[in-house]
Amino acid sequence: MYSLMTKLLKPSCLLAGMLLLTLTSCIEDHSEAVLIEKDPNTAYPSFKIADSSTERFRYRSMANSAETSSSEGAAQQLVYDTPEGWTEQPASMMRVVTFRFGENDKGECYLARLPGAGGGLLANVNRWRGQMGAEPITEEEVNALPTKPLFGTEATYVTVDGSFSPGMGSTETYENYRLVGLILSSEAGAAFVKMTGPKELVEANIEEFDQFTSSLDVQTN
Amino acid sequence: MATQKKDTPDNFLLLVYRFLSSYKLATVVLILMTLVTLFGTLGQVNHGLHAAKEKYFYSFLFTDKIGSIPIVLPGGLPLMFILFFNMVLGAIVKVRKRLKGLGLLISHIGMLLLLAGGFVTYAFATDGYMAMYPGMKTNRVESYRKWQLEIIKLTEENKAEKLFVYPSEALQSIKSNEQRSIPGNGLPFDIVINGYSSNAMPVPVSAPIAAGVQAKQIDGFKLAPQDKSKEAEQNLPGCYLEIQPTGDEKPIETILWAGSYKFDPGEKPMPFIFEVEGQKYGALLAKKSWTVPFEVQLDEFIFEQHPGMSMARNYESRVTRFEEGKSDTSLEIKMNEPMRYEGYTFFQESFGPAGSQPGDRMYSQFAVANNPADQWPLIALCITGAGLLVHFFMMLVGFVVKSFQSKSKPKTA
Repeated sequence: MYSLMTKLLKPSCLLAGMLLLTLTSCIEDHSEAVLIEKDPNTAYPSFKIADSSTERFRYRSMANSAETSSSEGAAQQLVYDTPEGWTEQPASMMRVVTFRFGENDKGECYLARLPGAGGGLLANVNRWRGQMGAEPITEEEVNALPTKPLFGTEATYVTVDGSFSPGMGSTETYENYRLVGLILSSEAGAAFVKMTGPKELVEANIEEFDQFTSSLDVQTN
Repeated sequence: MATQKKDTPDNFLLLVYRFLSSYKLATVVLILMTLVTLFGTLGQVNHGLHAAKEKYFYSFLFTDKIGSIPIVLPGGLPLMFILFFNMVLGAIVKVRKRLKGLGLLISHIGMLLLLAGGFVTYAFATDGYMAMYPGMKTNRVESYRKWQLEIIKLTEENKAEKLFVYPSEALQSIKSNEQRSIPGNGLPFDIVINGYSSNAMPVPVSAPIAAGVQAKQIDGFKLAPQDKSKEAEQNLPGCYLEIQPTGDEKPIETILWAGSYKFDPGEKPMPFIFEVEGQKYGALLAKKSWTVPFEVQLDEFIFEQHPGMSMARNYESRVTRFEEGKSDTSLEIKMNEPMRYEGYTFFQESFGPAGSQPGDRMYSQFAVANNPADQWPLIALCITGAGLLVHFFMMLVGFVVKSFQSKSKPKTA
């Protein structure tokens, strides 16, 4: 064995030298690259002129909860059921649909959409857990979470109990709260449905949450 | 009296030749290739397929860990180069030419062809995709993962008049903390890219997630770098772009994000529009693209689901191919039945939009591959197999003849 190792040592050292030499000669320097003029041939696409960064970054359709524009110019309509006892609130740039429910409107449920993967599943699950004062979990634990249908596909179902700190400028913390949510993260975009409120109130509204999330659909006119 | 060893190499070239053609080198390289294959296979779990290929097989060196012990190993690419030269010198040039070794010689030629095919694929093959709704026609293929910066000189009708490209390799080499100035190449402005991230998301400053983003705010947005996705196709790069007019005009700053390009073949890209010296320009992070020498039109996309399930049972496309005014109609592209034409292979890859149901307007996506060494592995395996058959047959004949001779030899007292 020792003899074999000593026999292989010499070619190994020479091989390492060869590799190092090849490596140093093959590293490309792109820092001097310049703009290259190319012919915009007939296959080059035409453009849509966005009137703001909001539209260019695909937040425009999120503000208009009811309507978005599809690729072919056809109007797309977000449809959903409003559960009994829930009151719809005005939409914002981030939130497509917002509901309030329960005594003093303590319960809240909203649908938000983000372009791209929206930060990724793991980061968003742990962001929500952080808002409830819970410890972050690992990717394996996130992958083991249950799923529920959302927009015709399976979304990750998150439940966290704890002290809710909503953030967004609010310094208040609400004790004995529950967060229930669905996260759908894909290349085409990310969707989040998040329900928060006192634990008992959220527990009593799980069926309404399921009714709302399972009714969500995009219809093309 | 001092004696000189007979086999001492008398010149450097002979030493190199002996080293490159040695069994010892082959042994070391094969052991290392086994390790690289092992790390590369396990690495797919954490890095995803594309990133694992880049790290373990297309690199010159890579670092990894066994437990907590860091290790450095050569990548698959240089090892295969060395193995190729080792086999050429050791098994073809150096080996004693005799009829008995014919089978092994043929087998080694087959293995060399396999390695050469791997290199041709690495160096010259292109792969991209073509997605279209029924009725659309194009010859444009887009890369899955490579993004480039495009500066477009626009006409009054907002059509591309001239196109200036900052190549994907150069763009992707920009580090997140690097600021890179790029001269305008005849344009009346230079550009500066900084804060490039290979996966990023613009977030409105009003969003909770923006509070933790330490980045410049432009037009109500910050660019938030994201962890790289395991699926490299899902990464959407972004950067800050500064346009610096060479005249007296003020610099213009913006955020560019790949999500402004398009997620759907029916969408139109949304470039950042700006004016310098009264001329309108667009700036866009766009997928690297190229054209094939013929056009393909999607006539019909057929999509069937398993009853009661959202899983696709079958999806196929009927296309027409146009070339120099001539058209071939009613061509079918199905799963496992690609269209091969002029060195290009069109595979039925996927469909969209996500969540579509039978009856919805759907687009079809083809993987378009152009690989000069497409069939080389098959040929190489046939040659290697034939070589081994020849070798085993000759060994068998030799054994039978030897047995026969030993039996027929007269016994001596």
